[in-house]
Amino acid sequence: MNPYVLTTLILSLGLGTTLTFASSHWLLAWMGLEINTMAIIPLMAQQHHPRATEATTKYFLTQATAAAMILFASTMNAWTMGDWNINQISHPLATTTVTLALALKIGLAPMHFWLPEVLQGLSLTTGLVLSTWQKLAPFALILQISQNTNPALLTTLGVMSALVGGWGGLNQTQLRKLLAYSSIAHLGWMIIILQFMPALTLLNLTIYITMTSTMFLSLKIMASTKINSLALAWPKTPTLTTLIMLSLLSLGGLPPLTGFMPKWLILQELTKQDLPITATIMAMSALLSLFFYLRLCYTTTLTTFPNTNNTTSPWRLKSTQITLPLTITIILTLMLLPITPAITTMF
Amino acid sequence: MTPVHFSFSSAFTLGLMGLAFHRTHLLSALLCLEGMMLSLYIALSLWCLQLEATMFSAAPMLLLAFSACEASAGLALLVATARTHGTDHLQNLNLLQC
Amino acid sequence: MFYVEILSMLLLVLGLVAVASNPAPYYAALGLVLAAAAGCCVLVGHGGSFLSLVLFMIYLGGMLVVFAYSAALAAEPYPESWFDLSVFSYVVVYILGLMVVGLCFFEGWYDGFWVVDELKEFSLLRGDFGGVALMYSLGGWVLVVCGWVLLLTLFVVLELTRGLARGALRAV
Repeated sequence: MNPYVLTTLILSLGLGTTLTFASSHWLLAWMGLEINTMAIIPLMAQQHHPRATEATTKYFLTQATAAAMILFASTMNAWTMGDWNINQISHPLATTTVTLALALKIGLAPMHFWLPEVLQGLSLTTGLVLSTWQKLAPFALILQISQNTNPALLTTLGVMSALVGGWGGLNQTQLRKLLAYSSIAHLGWMIIILQFMPALTLLNLTIYITMTSTMFLSLKIMASTKINSLALAWPKTPTLTTLIMLSLLSLGGLPPLTGFMPKWLILQELTKQDLPITATIMAMSALLSLFFYLRLCYTTTLTTFPNTNNTTSPWRLKSTQITLPLTITIILTLMLLPITPAITTMF
Repeated sequence: MTPVHFSFSSAFTLGLMGLAFHRTHLLSALLCLEGMMLSLYIALSLWCLQLEATMFSAAPMLLLAFSACEASAGLALLVATARTHGTDHLQNLNLLQC
Repeated sequence: MFYVEILSMLLLVLGLVAVASNPAPYYAALGLVLAAAAGCCVLVGHGGSFLSLVLFMIYLGGMLVVFAYSAALAAEPYPESWFDLSVFSYVVVYILGLMVVGLCFFEGWYDGFWVVDELKEFSLLRGDFGGVALMYSLGGWVLVVCGWVLLLTLFVVLELTRGLARGALRAV
């Protein structure tokens, strides 16, 4: 791709998210979302192979529908209540529609079907952008309308996403689909706490973005998109393989790692709000996700690829890819748990 | 609920239902999206006409510009799909299913 | 005038029914043309002559021509019209659904024309002329963003449709 075109596209990605962040008017927020969608489309279809085109088409259709629904809901609100402010949306039909539209945009459970398919068709870099940067603008809107939406709807979305994200990933062998289902499960955790403590949603989003960036970047360094190619990683990059195992466990939310922090705080807040059943369901659904993370760990580090005794191990070439972003995100992914008290004082 | 409100709401809902339920061609899906955008344009215009909100009547123009962008991107995707899949039937977009 | 208004609203909804009931794109584009023309009438009836003109020129004249052109490329020997059984059943279901929803809201309907414009006969310019012109003065940055998006769309379309090496464009 021409560098000028690439610059235009990346600047527009920034512009769209910034516009949505900065706006208090629904129309401007909608414009930001549209710019975001338009700007990532050529990046997704960069390789022009059938899978990329198909993924782009599906992404375009879902995002355009969701954006139109958002604008329609805000228009309904303006017709009945006469207010275009984002955080003043109050008509129950409008808030429900806009919540469902935003859920479609980020891929929450009953509307999640596009996410694994779209992510599977993309390159790892574009997949990284799709599952991190593209989530920011819808989340800015979700956080602003969080006090006006229907609590039962949010709980349903959250619980279903966590369950579906765990269940859907069980049968997958493709890493990008696994990451998509892990994204759905994490989004479920973010949505379930939204009505009680939006700050925790933000914290969970930040940590999720760090962890998933680690996964995408390290998969990109190893150029593997399937589980069986991960099994060959051990003779190639031993350090990275160990770190991948740890970051997978962090994604699953095991205690000494960063991923435990949001789950811990969310479960604590849910029990404080006197919702023990919801908290139990969420904790159990985390086990489902943990199962496929553990299976990935098992193939990556705990087994060796079946080969004969006299096979020579592959020559270890020095990688030419930039590893600085991976270094930063991997440290954040593994070691942030001790700062939990500092974070809880900020709420 | 006024008749105007009813007519553009039902127009949008019809477009959404048509897009969601049953599509054979990608082009029909894009036409449904355009129908939704049309009803949104009418809704925004009527809002500012009925409330005499003169300042707001630039909003439908912006909406029209953005929906034109969206339509052209959709048609470009139609061309790309026709190149790679040989057809624009939505049933043929099944390479990535689980 | 009131009846023309009601009729054009009805035509707007019926046009969308014609689009949504999944006929061949050839006929769906026709339905959308009908809906857009009816929308122009609705806007004129409410006094938005300039917005209606824009809708007529940009939407009907610009976008729908492209859509109709793409639909005409479709290599379908027997395009499904609204009178085929599968499409017709959709039309019936949608119209019945609309009637049911309309009857549900029927009690709450009140007179829709609450335009309070006492000086209508004396003014030369309608509000929407001035309002759209305000985009050039007060809405400067939004205009810049809009222009940027149009430029971006140019690049998007070029990037998506390029590829002479990837084979010619086949039948849609």
